[in-house]
Amino acid sequence: MAFKLTRRTFLQSAALAAMSAPLAKIAYAESTLAPAALEAKGTFADETVCGGICEMCFWRCQIIGKKRGDRLVKLEGNPKSIDNGAAICARGNAGIQMLYDPDRLKYPLKNTGERGKPVWKRISWDEAFAEIGEKLGAAIKKYGAHGLCMFPHGASAKYPMQFFDNIVGTPNISEASFFQCRGVRDTAYMSSTSIPPNESVDMANAKVIFLLGSHLGENIHVSHIKNYIQGLQNGAKLIVVDPRYSAAAAKSDVWLAIKPGTDTAFLLAMINYLIEKKKYQADFVENHTAGLDELTVGVREWTLARAAAECDLPAEKIQLVADMLAENAPNVSLHPGRHVSWYGNDFQRQRALACLTALLGAYYVRGGWCPGKAPKVEEIGWAKSEHDEKFDLNIKEDGKRKYPFSPPGTPTDLIRDTAISGNPYPIKACVIWGQNPIQTIPDQEKTKNMLKQMDFVLCVDIQPTDITMWADILLPQASYLERYDLIKTGVQWNLADKHQQYIAARMPLSPPLFERKDQVFITNAIAKALGHGDKIPAESLEQLVDKSLAAAGLSLSQLKKEDGIHIQDGKDPFVIPEDFEVLLFNEEIADAGFPGVPTYIPVPQPPPGFARLVYGRVQVHTFNRTQNNAWLHQEMPVNPLWINDETAAKLGLKDGDTVGFVNQDGVKSPTTTIVKATPGIRKDVVYMAHGYGSKNPLLTVGVGAGVDDTQLISKASVDPESGTHGMRNNFVQLIKDGKTLDIPA
Amino acid sequence: MQYGMIIDLDRCVGCHACVIACKAEWDVPTEFARNWVRHLGPAKIGEEMAMSYYVGLCNHCADPVCVTDCPGEPLEVTFSNPKTGEKKTATVPATWKDPIDGTVQIDKSRCIGCGACIEACPYHARYLNPALIDAIGSDGKADKCTYCKPRFEQGLPPACVQTCITGARIFGDLDDPASEVAQYVKKGAVGLEAKGGNLGPNSRYFGKKKDMDLLFSTSTPELAGLEKAGRRALMAKIMQPAMKAAGELTVLGLVGAAAVKALADKE
Repeated sequence: MAFKLTRRTFLQSAALAAMSAPLAKIAYAESTLAPAALEAKGTFADETVCGGICEMCFWRCQIIGKKRGDRLVKLEGNPKSIDNGAAICARGNAGIQMLYDPDRLKYPLKNTGERGKPVWKRISWDEAFAEIGEKLGAAIKKYGAHGLCMFPHGASAKYPMQFFDNIVGTPNISEASFFQCRGVRDTAYMSSTSIPPNESVDMANAKVIFLLGSHLGENIHVSHIKNYIQGLQNGAKLIVVDPRYSAAAAKSDVWLAIKPGTDTAFLLAMINYLIEKKKYQADFVENHTAGLDELTVGVREWTLARAAAECDLPAEKIQLVADMLAENAPNVSLHPGRHVSWYGNDFQRQRALACLTALLGAYYVRGGWCPGKAPKVEEIGWAKSEHDEKFDLNIKEDGKRKYPFSPPGTPTDLIRDTAISGNPYPIKACVIWGQNPIQTIPDQEKTKNMLKQMDFVLCVDIQPTDITMWADILLPQASYLERYDLIKTGVQWNLADKHQQYIAARMPLSPPLFERKDQVFITNAIAKALGHGDKIPAESLEQLVDKSLAAAGLSLSQLKKEDGIHIQDGKDPFVIPEDFEVLLFNEEIADAGFPGVPTYIPVPQPPPGFARLVYGRVQVHTFNRTQNNAWLHQEMPVNPLWINDETAAKLGLKDGDTVGFVNQDGVKSPTTTIVKATPGIRKDVVYMAHGYGSKNPLLTVGVGAGVDDTQLISKASVDPESGTHGMRNNFVQLIKDGKTLDIPA
Repeated sequence: MQYGMIIDLDRCVGCHACVIACKAEWDVPTEFARNWVRHLGPAKIGEEMAMSYYVGLCNHCADPVCVTDCPGEPLEVTFSNPKTGEKKTATVPATWKDPIDGTVQIDKSRCIGCGACIEACPYHARYLNPALIDAIGSDGKADKCTYCKPRFEQGLPPACVQTCITGARIFGDLDDPASEVAQYVKKGAVGLEAKGGNLGPNSRYFGKKKDMDLLFSTSTPELAGLEKAGRRALMAKIMQPAMKAAGELTVLGLVGAAAVKALADKE
């Protein structure tokens, strides 16, 4: 009984109290003196500190901190924000736990063990920089700048990336945000509309919102979600195409449980139908597109019936969706997606989406694709320079690009394969900055083999992610709450509201704790160690940001006076540039040997006994980077396996059963997760959230929690036009109680 | 006056911001929560597929079962309406329903941590916070959502409402027909009444029929077996004289109180 206090229960409850209570309360419990805070006071009366910009994900909501003494106790949306307002998501709220996470990196560390099995020794910053200078310097001297590769991610990696790119001069830089995420979207749209689309759809004012495999509602980007929900509240019809009954599908008017990988066929059938029935926006097509004739011929074979068979959908549903879009055009939001590196046929699918949007005339119109007119600021950084193309792995001997529509940087596998083979040249030093390639890049063994053959590996991060186990030197970086950063600009979240623009810069809400340093401090010291001290563009991050702000007639001190956000009058975004043109047929793509009109390329199908593994998001995590956050972990400690309920019943699996995995290449998951049996997923697919199953024991909260989907994605399907990684052509069987279960077709 | 909260499931995306904001605002220990988001489905509701969220918190019931058996020492308390200046005096134990604003509150300095109220609440909206300890409640104190009373008394929205990214949480006076919450009730927002109960939950839900059906079919609680709660309260009452003595003997401190408690248990 709970109130029967024995010595044992007393010790238990005291231990529990010690775990969960702030220090002040423990002191009270031990002394039982003054009547301390039995009633939490709330944070609303605490001091407010302005100027924060969140980076629990990359949407960068503007935040404020509540501070009690030296300690931040709460984060809130900046009430002045015209983007997220006073609201922030679960992760944003949980930033406090990131800041004070005892597992975070605190001091520079040197690996005195092996890569992958590190034994860490604390060293000074001076020792760290001496060693980095020596080892990186030696590799560059011996192998050239191209003997170095870099895997950067996020705001903190921008400055060092510019340094290694422009000053050191290596072309071998691969960003996960491009090659494993949205790069193929951007290059496909640029080959269609000349503009990367971001997620600039005016959903709040749309009559129809069309989502192709989107995680809206599971991926929480605050102003974007506000925009989407406002659209639904205003009466927009929602169409969701997804093999799974996703969070978005749950709010949809029409859900199409499409066969995975066939999305392009579905889009082409709608394009064909709109052209055949002359249901497209003729004026827009005439004035702002080129190549209708080629497109007409190119998609002719894609009748509704053929697409229905290919996509495993009723033909009348495809027609219904096409009609809904046509009847409500041009005020329709065809979402360009964000993470779209799916099947290795992604460039063509994204092109099809861009072309369908054009047929519907849904560019620069209310409810369509329309970027807000954000204010311009100048970015100060390292001086630009040209690379010697000789060492660009994406350029073939004939001078042509291997992946002509690659995003900026070098396609990941060109770097990994070159490093492992030594052909055409050795890559012997590796800098990893804010990225966790173990859980961003498919085929973990290849990444490990690349790292094993390096002469030197440097990692810079805020926390001991799995990749940091492979570092020789590991540097602790100040987090987004502990540093300045480059500028965030934008417009009010709903384009229908008064046109406004904002400029915000990240300012620290807490000084850096322990020996953490920001990216400018670290990069500048590396630059000096490598003999590039004379080219340093700013002495501190604060100065760098101030210089950039000066170009917009602002300063950090002015921004502070304005509570962290400068707001000014905006411009009407619903004006189509006269020269805006969508290439329905792109000659450049055709000349490069690829289909010039959007074309469907079928994807591999699961072998008997296997189901396709599809991964996604949960509301409380940003992939792997939030897994060690105690508050967020508490909300969703594992990533349940979604499996069709009838399939589960055939396998004798119930909700909550524990399962592991083996994939088509025999890769087994070292951890397990629980079953979620549901009618809301197709039988040929299983699904789990991405980013779980950390392996670094230093992440004491996240380690071993759930299953690492990336480990099971050992096959990377490289998109032929862009060189980006399709990751959804991997197939799994389940393991229950040591037995491998064949998944019935 | 009766404060209430509406959860608009059409707006909710199940992001858990409400849960984490509450944790930060009120020092709720990591492993506990004053509010929660449970993901429901996807499941078949009739012929339709549905997926939604059970976004829960204290219901500040019209007739709360959690306050009746509280063995905490009764105290005469004067409640006042900050708007009208109206005053009401009532003798209440350590947890009560506020006669002015209709919220259900706890006085932690009088809570002995017996757990009777926690057992009684069919929604599991209360938990024992082991971090809150004093001489009379050495196992911790009952804790729960207050509708952020200290915040709304300052004119601020509850922390969960302020951080809600889609405006899915709406707070206000259900008795004021002009309030947004009252408008929602008019449109059909309903509380999750316990099976066979008549508690009158004042946290209410609004959404599409299939989502509401999913919520109500999966999340309607049974009334708690009140015998257990009653037993707890009774035991606590028996112990009270000893506890009171211990409380007065602050020099004895926690260990002393524990000793007295252990004695009481033996008896």
